Amino acid sequence: MTTIRRFCCNDLLRFASVNLDHLTETFNMSFYMTYLARWPDYFHVAEGPGKRIMGYIMGKVEGQGEYWHGHVTAVTVAPEYRRQQLAKKLMKLLEDISDKIDKAFFVDLFVRASNTPAIKMYEKLGYVIYRRVLRYYSGEEDGLDMRKALSRDVEKKSIIPLKRPVTPDELEYD
Amino acid sequence: MASKFGLAGGIPERRVRPIWDAIDSRQFKTALKITTTLLSKHPHSPYALALKALILERMGKSDEALSVCLNAKELLCRDESLLMDDLTLSTLQIVFQRLDHLDLATSCYEHACGKFPNNLELMMGLFNCYVREYSFVKQQQVLCGNGGEKLLLLAEGLLKKHVASHSLHEPEALIVYFSILEQQEKYSDALEILTGKLGSLLMIEVDKLRIQGKLLARAGDYATAANVYQKILELCADDWEAFLHYLGCLFEDDSCWSNETINAPIHPPKFVECKLTHLTDEVFDSRISNASAFVQKLRAEASNDSLRNPYLAHLEIERRKFLFGKNNDDDLIEALLQYYSRFGHLACFTSDVEAFLQVVSPEKKMEFLDKLMKNSNSLSAVPTKALGQSITLLKTQELIGNMFRLSVGELEGSAVQMAELYRKNLPLSKELDPQESMHGEELLSIVCNVLVQLFWRTRNLGYFVEAIMVLEFGLTIRRYVWQYKILLLHLYSHFGALSLAYERYKSLDVKNILMETVSHHMLPQMLASPLWADLSNLIKDYLKFMDDHFRESADLTFLAYRHRNYSKVIEFVQFKERLQHSNQYLVARVESPILQLKQSADNIEEEESILESLKCGIDFVELSNEIGSKSLTFNEDFQSRPWWTPTKEKNYLLGPFEGISYYPKENLTKEREANVRGIVERKSLLPRMIYLSIQSASVLQKDSSEINGSLADPKISSELKTLLERYAKMLGFSLNDAVDVVVGVSHGLKSYEAFGSDIIDWLNFAVFFNAWNLNSHEFGQHGGECTPGSWHLVNSLLESYILGKVRSMEPLIQSPQGDLPILVQLVTEPLAWHGLVIQSCVRSCLPSGKKKKKSGSMDQSLSLLTHAIRDAIQSLCGILEEVAKWSQDQINSPEDNKIDILVSPLRRNGQDEGPGQVFHIFETLVSSPNETELGNRISQALRDWSPVDVARKIVSGQCTVLSEFWRICESKIKSLKTLKQQIAQV
Repeated sequence: MTTIRRFCCNDLLRFASVNLDHLTETFNMSFYMTYLARWPDYFHVAEGPGKRIMGYIMGKVEGQGEYWHGHVTAVTVAPEYRRQQLAKKLMKLLEDISDKIDKAFFVDLFVRASNTPAIKMYEKLGYVIYRRVLRYYSGEEDGLDMRKALSRDVEKKSIIPLKRPVTPDELEYD
Repeated sequence: MASKFGLAGGIPERRVRPIWDAIDSRQFKTALKITTTLLSKHPHSPYALALKALILERMGKSDEALSVCLNAKELLCRDESLLMDDLTLSTLQIVFQRLDHLDLATSCYEHACGKFPNNLELMMGLFNCYVREYSFVKQQQVLCGNGGEKLLLLAEGLLKKHVASHSLHEPEALIVYFSILEQQEKYSDALEILTGKLGSLLMIEVDKLRIQGKLLARAGDYATAANVYQKILELCADDWEAFLHYLGCLFEDDSCWSNETINAPIHPPKFVECKLTHLTDEVFDSRISNASAFVQKLRAEASNDSLRNPYLAHLEIERRKFLFGKNNDDDLIEALLQYYSRFGHLACFTSDVEAFLQVVSPEKKMEFLDKLMKNSNSLSAVPTKALGQSITLLKTQELIGNMFRLSVGELEGSAVQMAELYRKNLPLSKELDPQESMHGEELLSIVCNVLVQLFWRTRNLGYFVEAIMVLEFGLTIRRYVWQYKILLLHLYSHFGALSLAYERYKSLDVKNILMETVSHHMLPQMLASPLWADLSNLIKDYLKFMDDHFRESADLTFLAYRHRNYSKVIEFVQFKERLQHSNQYLVARVESPILQLKQSADNIEEEESILESLKCGIDFVELSNEIGSKSLTFNEDFQSRPWWTPTKEKNYLLGPFEGISYYPKENLTKEREANVRGIVERKSLLPRMIYLSIQSASVLQKDSSEINGSLADPKISSELKTLLERYAKMLGFSLNDAVDVVVGVSHGLKSYEAFGSDIIDWLNFAVFFNAWNLNSHEFGQHGGECTPGSWHLVNSLLESYILGKVRSMEPLIQSPQGDLPILVQLVTEPLAWHGLVIQSCVRSCLPSGKKKKKSGSMDQSLSLLTHAIRDAIQSLCGILEEVAKWSQDQINSPEDNKIDILVSPLRRNGQDEGPGQVFHIFETLVSSPNETELGNRISQALRDWSPVDVARKIVSGQCTVLSEFWRICESKIKSLKTLKQQIAQV
């Protein structure tokens, strides 16, 4: 019941019911369009019957050497389509593209340290907490940098947790 | 494509990349620094200069940017030996474009293509120029006639040549190639390429299959296409669109592949179009049994039974059978029941089955509902699932319109039942994170829907207040439910507590692109409200968002281009066009100056400076002329609107109760389009008519005096007349007839009903007619020069209509909606414009500068005029004073009384009919929350619940609106009093 396809501009006009959710940020246009322009394969939408938007994932691939990795910028599912493993499907797609097409070493994402339901979900999907980023969210709340190693990182070096938290300006990428 | 030899514009790419990275991440200072270093090594490189110009422009240094750009262009054109590549040109182009020098930008490309006529990259660049926005006018010129086809042919030729010499390395280029071939209907060529070596560029198998299936189907090879779609479904069994295409191929139905146009609705009808009539019985039978077998197989192979697709596919097959006349609708109903037994607990059940229910008769729908109801005795043993199933039953009732068939008693019963269900299931959410949706949240929305219907039927205000209480109660328990907030903002708007509605709206955090899709919830009511500051912010934010996007869109298009995502290049351009044609954008652009004019109407000098900034309204007249031929897009998302106002033009609660047929949300675009065109056409004449009216009224005195000897400008009079004629025509009359109508109404010969729902426009017409009449002799019988006839006409129209309204209006607290919005519009539009005419007259009667007051005999016409003005001032003052008093009385009536009016009808304990029953359930729950059952958080929230606070907020929300209105009236009264003193001195 789900068609997963590339996100296109017109989907921005269809995603209101997903984005009105208070945990889903509505970014400015240049943010979305930069992702579409640079990493169109990392921006996918799941569509139900009647072309209703069920959820979407946006991300990118970046980094140098063994830091070359896929990054999940946002993943969200509309309330009426929750508890159907849709987020898992979308994450899998991004992981596959990072792994098979771009040959990245790992996929990472940031999550609010207080967002327990999301952290639990990512853990179920195989992500581990790699490090804590102090006051990452608007200088207030800490963020957790979670990672999952891909096939190219045979020894799973990329996900060995850091012992100490870092500050946002120590991050390699934002 | 610029880096074929590792060179970008003649400079090694590794040197340029950091600059672009800095630009992309908006670190312009860094970018400028690197560029300066680069320029020291390549001082005459047009590319490096173009980069510098680009950065300067982005830093806001337009003048410097332009001069650097011109420098680069000159170098390019002068030096034959210089490399002239596409990257340099497109960079220059983007800067020129942003500096509003489209001409220079285009000439660069034209020059380059003239110089290297066979350069593939440049030609591709030129082609891209046509495709994207840079030379929109030219693109249109080219598209007139058969230019479009020629262009496609050119593009195809270029690509072919390119493939022959360099092959293709980018999947995106391949996709564009396919699209070019597809648009020329060269499907077999495209298929050949896809299955050939180049096809391997597409790394995701399913993507490749999707293109293949589509090309085959469009080429008419449905059998092979169906096989391809089967393969897709075997890979992704949950792909609904692939299944529909699969069926489309089996039935040789091309309707799902028709091309999208730019103003195609963004929310297509849920109903899936299909053609079946061309099939014979045998063909249909064999194909449908193939489909059934395949779906069976998919179902059997499905690794988990949470996949909805195979089951929905079964429904779709049954639907087609029914449409073809193979089955009666019993089988479809049976299939729906099966779907319910498997997925009935899911929140998406009703939206899943909506399209299937649409094809069956109302009786069958009821039968389906009955059968579902019987099922409700055997709910799941898992409490959350059982709750989900119960909610689905209720939502299905809503969906098929059954709620409108129930009696008042049944509706009340149903609301009580739902509230009980909500209460009983609250403990399920005990452990949930406050951020997570709670179980049963939807119930309160449905309860609200039922209560509003009860209000509509009985006009008992209690139900209306109860609906508000239910949602506020829900928000007390979990404050994030946006569905409640939207319902509330509409209820508060309807109740005249617009400031409260706006608060709820703000809490939705509607920003960026959501302003285009969601602000329809708030904007229309605000346009007719006295909350000018809030309205101004709303419009300003929205216009800023749109205009910013239009400005940066070229950059983003270029970004996609540089990253070789060509399909996105085209998509971005089309998207920009879609937004530029947005009906809401157009309306906001017209309403924004009108708001400014309203805000400054008490001060003619301020008004004139606003008019001046609007070029005296000339551009808007132009817009009014063009609107008929402009294509409009409708991007608003109406899905989340409440049932009683499915579009912004419709509000059932304003009329008497009538049943509502099946979800009237769709296919309203045509109607809406005509409506928007009408509004824009009329409203965009206003600034000019206001300007001309002021002029017309102010030249009047100069006309008959010797102050500067110049005669009234006859052009003003004739232009105003032309606009009056147009205005009258929009109201459905000739100028003469329209004048007869207003005269008839003002003399009491006709009733106000003659104006219909266009009262504001009619009164505007009367006001502008009077202004014109001051300078014209044509309508001597109604007034003529400086005679009070047409003055009297306007005074009496405004007076009798506005005072009639005020005197018949009930207190706001007892009557939702009422006539407040119309009253506000009357005062802030026609009355305000009339006030401007008066101000202009007074000003021209006053001796200018330090000249002494004219002595001697005052000429007769002046005396007549001053008399008329005095009367008009007197009349407006009288109106405004009464309106202000009406507002003041309501503001001053004791708050506790008003709160009591709201709350006491709900507190009639022990009643088992009428409003208050749902309220009572919550009050009981709150009075003794069971902390062990509900958990700490919910119990605490229950303790915070205060219905009196909600009532108090409503009261103060209404007062805020009334106070703003009162303030507007007072300001006008003050201004009129000053005029009165001034005119007394003449």
